[in-house]
Amino acid sequence: MTLTQLVDSLVTTAQVGSLYALMAVGLTLTMAVVKLPNFAHAELITFGAYTALVVSLFVTTNPLFAIGLAFPASALLAWAIHRLVYRPLVRQKSTTYVLILSSFAVGLIVRYTLFLLADRYDLFDKRIQIPLQVLVAIGPLRLTNIFVWVTLSSIILVILLTLLLNFTSLGRQMRALADNDTLARVLGVPVDRVTDLTWVLVGGMAGVAGALWGLYTFVDPLVGWLILLPVFAAAVLGGMRSFAGTILGAYIVAFGENTVMLLLNQTFGLDFSFKPAIPFVIIILVLLIRPQGFGGIGRSATEGGNA
Amino acid sequence: MILDPIGTLISLLTSFGVAAMIALSLNLEYGLGGIPNFGKALFVSIGAYTAGVTYTRLLPLLAGQAAPYPCGAGMSQALQVRTEIMRTLPAVGLTNFLMTLVIAAFIGGIVGYLASYPALRLKDEWFLGLVLLASSEVVRIVVRGAEPVICAHNGLSGLSQPFVFLPTAQLRAAAFAGMTLLAAALCYWFAQRVARSPYGRMLKAMRENSDVASGLGKPMARTRASVMVIGSAMAAVAGVFFVTNIGFASANDYVVGLTLDIWVMIVLGGLGNMRGALLGAAIITLLDRATAIAAIQANMLGSQFDFNYARYILFALILLVMLRYRRQGLLPEQLDTTGAGKFLTKLRRQDVASQKATVNRHA
Repeated sequence: MTLTQLVDSLVTTAQVGSLYALMAVGLTLTMAVVKLPNFAHAELITFGAYTALVVSLFVTTNPLFAIGLAFPASALLAWAIHRLVYRPLVRQKSTTYVLILSSFAVGLIVRYTLFLLADRYDLFDKRIQIPLQVLVAIGPLRLTNIFVWVTLSSIILVILLTLLLNFTSLGRQMRALADNDTLARVLGVPVDRVTDLTWVLVGGMAGVAGALWGLYTFVDPLVGWLILLPVFAAAVLGGMRSFAGTILGAYIVAFGENTVMLLLNQTFGLDFSFKPAIPFVIIILVLLIRPQGFGGIGRSATEGGNA
Repeated sequence: MILDPIGTLISLLTSFGVAAMIALSLNLEYGLGGIPNFGKALFVSIGAYTAGVTYTRLLPLLAGQAAPYPCGAGMSQALQVRTEIMRTLPAVGLTNFLMTLVIAAFIGGIVGYLASYPALRLKDEWFLGLVLLASSEVVRIVVRGAEPVICAHNGLSGLSQPFVFLPTAQLRAAAFAGMTLLAAALCYWFAQRVARSPYGRMLKAMRENSDVASGLGKPMARTRASVMVIGSAMAAVAGVFFVTNIGFASANDYVVGLTLDIWVMIVLGGLGNMRGALLGAAIITLLDRATAIAAIQANMLGSQFDFNYARYILFALILLVMLRYRRQGLLPEQLDTTGAGKFLTKLRRQDVASQKATVNRHA
């Protein structure tokens, strides 16, 4: 293995890991606050990616504008899904399995609607175009403007979300809901409003993550579904509650998919087609060996009392 | 526009038989036992992979020939060998098929047992669903990357159904449809027997509240393992029919979409009701075919949209509507009455009647 390959894989790890972190904190937030393993999170990501793509193809090529519009688009979608599907089901006292199934179903509807439209208007495998510039080139290290855009935006958004959770009254209310929703209700937390806002926030972040993913690589109706399971692996590593654990988990998953995969390929000749299996193996191992993940570390964000 | 009504009917019946077997197995696991098997495609795929191995190794062996390596350069020669044997030696073909069924059931059972093992150790109950989903994807990715099973991403063709020796195409299809329906009928009979047995009532107790059931001395770990073994063996058998019906094994057929189709069937038909599983399988099979035909028609009429995608939207909508408005399905689960249960109901009726009589006398 050459040094360039190693450095390259580490750069990819940083970039993909930041994106996974941005996607996974949203997933963790839904699981903690709304108590729903939302498989339609994938489609919130895809929808954001397509919004950004359409904006960049037909309206303006300014990436800030495209990424900015992905937020309200996916936020609206998430809120609508919550109101139309999840809330009525939760009010019927549905089991978690019913909610998971319905999230699969919602995801399918959005995904294949996008397929229909993408097929009609020929929007497969397109890329959100911004001119590529190499900003840093020191020896084997090459950083492009896309790397800076993607990584910095993801990190800033994750930091903003953490600040919001820890230092605003909305964040306090969300954490109260995550901890004990009955108690939160009794203490006068406006549960409906907080849940609505959680969905808006989660959807918006997923949308931005999708748009950034579209900057980094191609946009396709399956894009969210294909990255959902690494993202789930990151959330599982975070014990599905801890923010710090989830972020750490995201970088570990990205490291496994890129650097470890490269090492396995170079030393054992493992084919790169096995790469998608890595996050699944992480999910299975973590759930079997240490189901709380890194839930114990960094008592930040939505960390609950008994987690 | 249907050119061949009898042929279409036969192929629909075959698809229905396969779907019914998988739906029945999931209905045993989730409908009765409450185990969220989101990895159903994995267990179906075991049947397909088993067929991939037996058709390339066991079949030539049974016919007394050398087994050429099925992939790579020898691909077409190996395909010719197994096609020739299936056409000319009916006894060998049928024996191989039956042995495939037995081996698939056996391997499916083992994998089902292994898959039930994590259930005991998982903190949240839905983690089992996630582990099964993840396992199903891992196995698919590994098979797609590893050559010996079904030639990696190339897939394996020539896994023909056992009746290809018959003279006409319609006769072949009809014979295979009959065999599939027979297998489905056996599965149905077996599932009904299970559902109405004391074991079936224990499964329902586990579904409703496993803490109470284990408090009453029912072995929950063993029950969960056994129902997973039964369901997975049945799904693997269905997988053999599934793959030989298509004639081609490809890892890409066993994705989450297949799992979801089966879930739609049992939610639509009625969770815990075996006749419901049959009804759900029948409706979804028909709808699947109808949407495919509609998509072709729309395409011929010059539609700009490819309505093959609409199939998934339709099924997902059915699932959502059922979950929201009719959770019990089209055919709700029947109350299971044992001899003792009937006796108790009778006593209660008499009790109510005598109370009414007392009230009337006083009035």
